[in-house]
Amino acid sequence: MIELDLALQRGEFSLELALHSSARALALFGPSGCGKTSTLLAIAGLLHPRRGRVAIDGRALFDSDANIDLTPAHRNLGVVFQDARLFPHLSVRDNLRYGMPHAAAKHAFDDVVHLLELSAFLKRRPGQLSGGQIRRVAIGRALLRQPHALLLDEPLANLHREARAEVLEHLRGLKRGFELSTILVSHQPDEVIALADSVALIQDGRLAALEDVEAFRSSTAASGIPVAANACATG
Amino acid sequence: MRRIQRLVACVAVAGAGALASAVAAAAPPTIFAAASLEPALDQMAHEGALGTPAPRLVYAASSALARQIENGAPADLFISADERWMDDVARHGAIVPSTRADLLGNALVLIAQSKARFDLAHGAASLPEALGRDGRLAIALPDSVPAGIYAKQALTELGMWQSLEPRMAMTRDVRAALNLVVLGQCPLGIVYRSDAVSEARVKVLATFPAASHKPIVYPVAIVKGHDDAATRALLAALKAEQARGAFRRWGFDVLAH
Amino acid sequence: MLLTHAETVALALSFKVSLVGVACSLPVAVGCAWLLARTRFFGKPVVEGLLLLPLILPPVVTGYVLLIVFGHHGAIGRWLDAAGVSIAFRWTGAALAAAVMAFPLLVVALRNAFESVDRKLENAAATLGAGPWRIFFGITLPLSARGLVAGLALAFARAFGEFGATITFVSSIPGQTRTLPIALYELISTPGGQSGALRLTLLAVAVAVVASLVAALMLLRGGTREADA
Repeated sequence: MIELDLALQRGEFSLELALHSSARALALFGPSGCGKTSTLLAIAGLLHPRRGRVAIDGRALFDSDANIDLTPAHRNLGVVFQDARLFPHLSVRDNLRYGMPHAAAKHAFDDVVHLLELSAFLKRRPGQLSGGQIRRVAIGRALLRQPHALLLDEPLANLHREARAEVLEHLRGLKRGFELSTILVSHQPDEVIALADSVALIQDGRLAALEDVEAFRSSTAASGIPVAANACATG
Repeated sequence: MRRIQRLVACVAVAGAGALASAVAAAAPPTIFAAASLEPALDQMAHEGALGTPAPRLVYAASSALARQIENGAPADLFISADERWMDDVARHGAIVPSTRADLLGNALVLIAQSKARFDLAHGAASLPEALGRDGRLAIALPDSVPAGIYAKQALTELGMWQSLEPRMAMTRDVRAALNLVVLGQCPLGIVYRSDAVSEARVKVLATFPAASHKPIVYPVAIVKGHDDAATRALLAALKAEQARGAFRRWGFDVLAH
Repeated sequence: MLLTHAETVALALSFKVSLVGVACSLPVAVGCAWLLARTRFFGKPVVEGLLLLPLILPPVVTGYVLLIVFGHHGAIGRWLDAAGVSIAFRWTGAALAAAVMAFPLLVVALRNAFESVDRKLENAAATLGAGPWRIFFGITLPLSARGLVAGLALAFARAFGEFGATITFVSSIPGQTRTLPIALYELISTPGGQSGALRLTLLAVAVAVVASLVAALMLLRGGTREADA
């Protein structure tokens, strides 16, 4: 369950978002530049809202009234960044294990590696991987943190078609295999439809609508094309 | 038109010439002098004993000055703290030999802070004891700086060099050694009598016998290529009565010439 | 090219003094560089200026300040004397002089190295549960390793060649504080010391050249890496 009530300022751009969702997987959908990534970074604790509250499954991560502001390390979230951000000086194996809790079960690592098909290149460095492989490692690394919730920022962005299909398939598999609250940021309807249960439409830094994924599928099917990429007013 | 142009040109050249000679005449002569002469020469220049305009005074260790003069530094007069460095400069042909003269003498003394208490009842033998457990004897570099060279000669003559050498702090020049004693960093130091005289915060504990080291002589000479009326006048001023009196007050011996 | 005993002593002493000096200033430099690279605080430009002072002041001035503060009866020196760990007129004093003079070079190099590390990677590490120390030692430091080595090489060269502050603070004491540059100075000032001076000059130049090469190598290849990352 996700509780969001944020007022965020980035340069000239301001974002005000308030929503409650009991969906397991929530997508933040909208054109590029209207604050979706900023929202995700704020949930992760890397951006500081002017005021507001962020809570996941009842656990408050940020609450300006109650003076709560957990550091990113303490929020126990698994973040998959748009630019993956794998550590270039560590092997894939070390990247994956970076956030693993000491108390993790032995097989947790093997399970994730198997699920995301990473075993072939555990010893390689990120510089030697393809775009799709990098994305999968980033997802695996976030999962192995054994977080309360997963945050995905445009997980399929900038991937060519085959890699896209490959990663999407893995994400579907994850959805089936892991019971993890997920917040997904995307501007592509097919990602959203495949992975989300509930969709928050964001435009110009405001919540335009919060709807079930079925309703979302119908509305995009009706319009026939992905939502037009009106550039939001950005700073 | 032509005549006016020529007239303007003549005036300009004459004016420039007058300006140049005025500038040349106004530039004061430069003395490169050993560091130990600093307080004495500064005061003499200030009081006008060295003529007007007062000369430019450059102080450093004699070794450094000698090397610079040999490499063409713009000094008019050179006063060295020992004959060896003057010989070196002469060998390089950088002085006017006929103008060389022994200007001053000095003595070597053992100093301590004015307020310190020392018992040198046993003379030189009590030196190591007087240094205490950790104290060091401040002297100028004993192989290159004249004051250090004389100190080494004197201590060797007194049979004390071997035992004292490990207890020494060797400084870049004699004034640095003086300063170490003033600041209380070293309990004892060996400097020129003129240095001790110039510094109220130290006192002379003993004077090294003149026979224990080569005579401390300060030769003076005009630098080659700088032999002109102004420099000669300055040299004469250094030997004149007013200067001699001042040098004596500052702890130097004035040598007959 | 064989060295005299005195020259060998000076060479060995210079290595000892420089290595110890740079090693001791490294943790302080790392801390200062990290603060400058990663934090904001009131009066930051003033601190930046102060840290650069030994680079700008005449070395003799720095040496004099060290003498007043760390020498006998000095503000800090008196405590050291009382504790029996005096550094006045000892190689440790020479090491301090070397450390102080090399410090600004080290801070500047380290700061640049830290600033070149992508903060996004540090942020990612934070989301993965790493605390500030783990981020620093696991991410920032390894990724700035090239700049670090380059800074160390330059700082070592500076410490090795240090003269003015050293001779002013701890004078010249064979075996204790007569480092290679001081021995070189003495030889230059002694008629007949030319051959020894030449030998020591060649050594000093060799050390400087090696240090420069190391620094250049590190920084050159470091540059191309950044573009990919």
